[in-house]
Amino acid sequence: MIELALAVPALILLLSLFAGVIYMSYIQIAASVIVFAAVIDGVLFVKPDKIFLGGYFFIDSLNAVVLFTVSLLELFIAFYSFGYIRTEIKHGLSKRKFKYYFFWKNLFILSMMVSILANNLGIFWVGIEGTTLATALLVSFNRTKEAYEATWKYVLMCSAGIAIGLFAIVILYFTTSDFYGQSIKALSFLNIIKVGGKLDKNFVLLAFILALTGFGTKVGFAPMHNWLPDAHSQAPSPISAMLSGVLLNTALLGILRFYQIALSAGIYSAKYFFIGFGFLTIAISALSIFKQKDYKRLFAYSSMENMGLITLGFGIGGIAVMGSLLQILFHALNKGAIFLSSGNVLAVTHERKIDKIKNLSKMMPVTSFMLLLAVIGITGTPPFAIFLSELLIIIGMFSFNVIFGFIVLFFLILMFAGLLSKTLLLRGNSNDGEKDGSPIIGFIEGKSLHPFLLYVPALLIAISVIFLFYLPEPFLLLVKSAVREL
Amino acid sequence: MDKFAELFAVLILVSAVLNAGSPFIEFGIKLYAFQSLMLALYTLMVALHSNTPSLYWSFSITILFKVITIPYFLFKTLKKTDIKREMDSVIGIPESVVLAGSLTLLSNIIAEKIITSVIAFGSLIFTISLATFLIGAMLMITRKTLFSQIIGFLTIDNAIFLAGNSFTRGMPLIVEFGVLFDLLAAVLILSLLIINIKKSSINKTMKHN
Repeated sequence: MIELALAVPALILLLSLFAGVIYMSYIQIAASVIVFAAVIDGVLFVKPDKIFLGGYFFIDSLNAVVLFTVSLLELFIAFYSFGYIRTEIKHGLSKRKFKYYFFWKNLFILSMMVSILANNLGIFWVGIEGTTLATALLVSFNRTKEAYEATWKYVLMCSAGIAIGLFAIVILYFTTSDFYGQSIKALSFLNIIKVGGKLDKNFVLLAFILALTGFGTKVGFAPMHNWLPDAHSQAPSPISAMLSGVLLNTALLGILRFYQIALSAGIYSAKYFFIGFGFLTIAISALSIFKQKDYKRLFAYSSMENMGLITLGFGIGGIAVMGSLLQILFHALNKGAIFLSSGNVLAVTHERKIDKIKNLSKMMPVTSFMLLLAVIGITGTPPFAIFLSELLIIIGMFSFNVIFGFIVLFFLILMFAGLLSKTLLLRGNSNDGEKDGSPIIGFIEGKSLHPFLLYVPALLIAISVIFLFYLPEPFLLLVKSAVREL
Repeated sequence: MDKFAELFAVLILVSAVLNAGSPFIEFGIKLYAFQSLMLALYTLMVALHSNTPSLYWSFSITILFKVITIPYFLFKTLKKTDIKREMDSVIGIPESVVLAGSLTLLSNIIAEKIITSVIAFGSLIFTISLATFLIGAMLMITRKTLFSQIIGFLTIDNAIFLAGNSFTRGMPLIVEFGVLFDLLAAVLILSLLIINIKKSSINKTMKHN
């Protein structure tokens, strides 16, 4: 019943126009549970590889991994949103501000599902542009000058980037229409793969490069990344978690489809583009992190670095591909934990600057401990699952080229140092005993925050630890069969 | 019929160059509407030439979305914001016209290198669409007024549609409709942002960092 993953968000979308925000938060939880169950049912227990809804949509192991990640994180975000809205309203935000929150959120999820499941490249394009538009008004949620500027940059840069992606699709359509005629069939991914070997190599390479730069804007590859830290830091925290955790992967999935087409046409040099962009992204994000003053921007740069690493893994091939696929899931969970726990800090203090926040470990002991654990996790330190996937990518990297491996490892260590030092600064123990960092007078963490705001990140961290030692068998099989496809 | 098609395509490029040469916003939106009309007429010529019914649909939705609806909303937004002309651009008007000319020349060189196989209307259309694409990108980069950036983006989009209609006989209708719908939504959201940015009384220019 994988169709439910499309139908339920569409239904909730319409419902949210009529129901109040408090009712919607209950409905959203129910809907997310249904979507998650449908995805589990359709992805893990049935052999994927089926076409549905008239051939416009399909599911194979590759998009199943991304789909599973999206629905799992979305389940947690639904619970977090439940608490988040109550906490923000309690802290004095008017209910009216949340009026369209669930509308845009569900439109975002729907268009993301559409682009993940799309068999047709045109439909994929419509979906991915839809995610930009649906999240635009969520990014400008705070209605400040910075929020509007961030949204402007986000919409214009991503739309222009995705327009270049459209150019790639047009060129691909031109070559494939020799085989299928000028019809919708010529844009179907499964059809294109079938005739891959016979396609004109020059045009396929041109399409691949255009898609890489075009959709790469949306992934946040290095020269086109300007919008990413702004947009991700301005959105409300649950939306930031979705943007960083799963939306970047959705855009990357589109590039991977073009990569598969390029491979089927026999263009093996395509992988060097992946390695180049991945490396540049890691290097730039690692170097930018030291001058960041805003903690949410800090974590946005960390997302960039992780996307670079995932892309690098896909480019290197072999064991690193498995690492990259696992990293997609683990990064989403861990980044969710980071953005949600830092969202707690923001919800209470309404302060984004790192040096304005002090004594977090005393003021919000639970949240700041979770934030520290999650940051340690995202850098790939052992008790967390990312250790496994990063290890696989790094092993692949060293077997690819030792010197290159050391250079990338150096940037990863820089990232580790930058992230951890800034987070420790946030927890900072100022010795003079002054309570100038005290967020709100009379503030007690458990009382002021809705309990869900503490449970959800804690659960995400716990799952991240569990996945290091035990990965569910069906998921592992799914990843293995996805590795064979690339 | 071919001559007419080529005329319309050349007019698309001419309107893009004119846009690079004019600092007036209202004129820019009018030029965009004119450019879209030329695109629609070009599509009609291709439709007549190749006798493809789906292109007639493409013609009518281009008229509906790009010639009527999008300029209408842009004009409406313009009235609310009271911006008359480009405030400060990175390079001056004469420089950008010269740059537009050299981009056209560059596109011609690229097109002659790439085009080997037979395409519906030859390499002229490819040159035009590439040049329009680059001029649109130039507008986006060099102009600082928010409206000019939107017009640059829309010009890029027209260039891609031109390429789509000349390389192939148009994209499948469902895809084209989705693309146009997304474009309209993007313009609406961007107009909303312009009004909001104006409201929160910030300077109308944006920094590119």
